[in-house]
Amino acid sequence: MTDADMASPVGDTDAILEFRGVTKSFGGRAPAVRHFTLSVPRGQLVVLIGPSGCGKTTTLRMVNRLIEPTDGSIWLEGRNYKSYNPVELRRRLGYVIQRIGLMPHLTIGDNIAFVLRLLGQAPQARRARASELLEMVGLDPAEYLDRYPTELSGGQQQRIGVLRALAHDPDIILMDEPFGALDPLMREQLQEEFKRLLRTVSKTIVFVTHDMDEALSMADVIVLMKDGAIVQVAPPEEMLRHPADEFVASFMGRHRVLRQASEVSVADVMIASPVMTPEASGLARSLELMRRRRVNSLLVHDAGGHYVGVVRQSELQDHIEAGDQSPVGSLADRTADTLAPSDSGLTAMHQLLSHQQLDSLPVLDADDRIVGLVTRGTLVGLLGDALRVAADVQEIRAEAASAPAGEVAR
Amino acid sequence: MTLFLHTYQFFTQHPGTIWRHTLQQLYLVAIPLAAAILVAVPLTMLATRVRRLYGPVMGFANAMQTIPSLALLALMIAIGLGIGVLPAVLALFLYALMPIVRNTYVGIMGVDPGVKDAARGMGVTSWQLLWMVEMPLALHVIIAGIRSALVATIGFATLASLIGAGGLGSLIMEGMGLASNSIVLAGTIPAIVLAFLAEGLMSRVERVLTPRGLRV
Ligand SMILES: Nc1ncnc2c1ncn2[C@@H]1O[C@H](COP(=O)(O)OP(=O)(O)OP(=O)(O)O)[C@@H](O)[C@H]1O
Ligand SMILES: [Mg+2]
Repeated sequence: MTDADMASPVGDTDAILEFRGVTKSFGGRAPAVRHFTLSVPRGQLVVLIGPSGCGKTTTLRMVNRLIEPTDGSIWLEGRNYKSYNPVELRRRLGYVIQRIGLMPHLTIGDNIAFVLRLLGQAPQARRARASELLEMVGLDPAEYLDRYPTELSGGQQQRIGVLRALAHDPDIILMDEPFGALDPLMREQLQEEFKRLLRTVSKTIVFVTHDMDEALSMADVIVLMKDGAIVQVAPPEEMLRHPADEFVASFMGRHRVLRQASEVSVADVMIASPVMTPEASGLARSLELMRRRRVNSLLVHDAGGHYVGVVRQSELQDHIEAGDQSPVGSLADRTADTLAPSDSGLTAMHQLLSHQQLDSLPVLDADDRIVGLVTRGTLVGLLGDALRVAADVQEIRAEAASAPAGEVAR
Repeated sequence: MTLFLHTYQFFTQHPGTIWRHTLQQLYLVAIPLAAAILVAVPLTMLATRVRRLYGPVMGFANAMQTIPSLALLALMIAIGLGIGVLPAVLALFLYALMPIVRNTYVGIMGVDPGVKDAARGMGVTSWQLLWMVEMPLALHVIIAGIRSALVATIGFATLASLIGAGGLGSLIMEGMGLASNSIVLAGTIPAIVLAFLAEGLMSRVERVLTPRGLRV
């Protein structure tokens, strides 16, 4: 570490927190965090996400010096982390640990105001601040201030864990899976609550999670990590649209698919030249066309190219056998739904999936002219990823469920 | 029946003797125990910070309790301390160390790592961690250790009269020498009452000092 390193806050001047080539090795194994470089602009919520053991917690704990980097440097408000006394640094930051970690021997009020006590504030002021914070999350101070942590539900305990990190109004808050121990419903509620809270106070937050839903809903910027290294840094939208590689794409999994289906338009995915026949054509000729093109239904149009309806192979066959001589137009059925080119892939998916008997939907322009066709096959491309992800998940679950049984059998 | 009558008579006729021996017994328990607390608790706290201290400290305390109590008393004489109150107090002190060392260590090390981690993350110093988090949470475990040290010491103290330390034990010895069961009982009954009183008191202290948030 040279003097220049200590003195010059180069790089992003807007950044309140900066990692420069930070590496952490525990003993002889592969580093837990490798060459981690990241700028966190003031007021942003940055989410660190990645598989278990990828180094999220380690990264977070290097910021408040609970873990010392092996290499590289961290800059807080333009100052090198080494220029801060660790104890004083921690009192300036807010920290929510992965396990809630409330003090069982202290009341809720004393838990929330713990840092204030370390900072030497008077009991009166501490109590007032704790009340204020409890009110912010809709817990009645009169009821909760003097309770003990064991007398609270899991969700309430996690709220207190978060409030505790806010008590001294820190500029930077480090949160390690703050809503981790909650069921999805409760978690969503707390996320909303927390976002509401953040609207009233501007904070810079480094937020660790392994839940992509949570990341997408909270993050200004997502940092995706793998094996201690950053794979991609991007806002949620960009990460969904342009995943850096296979790993990111698969990690975003079903979110990408659903997002894709809703963003893609019918015009993008439809078959642009479906098999059609004029309404005046004969039945046998139409049947022959179907055989040749290997389809089991035909779109029927009038002389002006307007949609008349659809005929199915079975119906056509029945009528030919019965000796029907009328043109194909007389059999055309137009009761089914149609799509517009601007409809989303999600709409198409929804309509097809909700009408079991339909194989396809015609796509019509504003003048009712046929411009294309969306079949179940078309949607398989869109759905494929989602199905694969779902299948993977099921497979993993099945393996997990069968493993202990296998042990017993042996 | 006559035994009880005689014992009762002894109590009424020699209240001063019984009182004196009981008081001696109290000293014989209180002084070594207090010393053991004052030495073992801080030393073990230090051992929770400087881990390599724990082995020797616990090893020594353990050895002291493993030596049969009579042998420990004899040892005091053998190392030249002679007989009387001082060697008895020293032996009792050594004997009381182990449960206190053990429980102090277990109590402090057993504090939920998540709680300690949260405290550290909020910026406690090493001292504050000890005083504001570990001690309050370990206190009831330490008290439980003191309680078992107390029970052991009360039992052992009765033997201390063997090396001339006085106490209720000497009353018992005297009675045995005179083949007088009533005198033996005059020593035994207060010893038993004392043990139960002490035990009751300590269990109450233990309960009061258990943080409300930890009580079930
Ligand atoms: N104190 C430590 N000593 C040795 N190895 C450690 C230590 N802390 C973490 N590690 C290792 O470093 C790697 C990263 O751990 P870390 O806790 O940062 O992962 P994480 O991304 O937070 O995982 P999770 O999602 O499970 O919380 C892991 O392989 C872990 O075993
Ligand atoms: Mg972690």
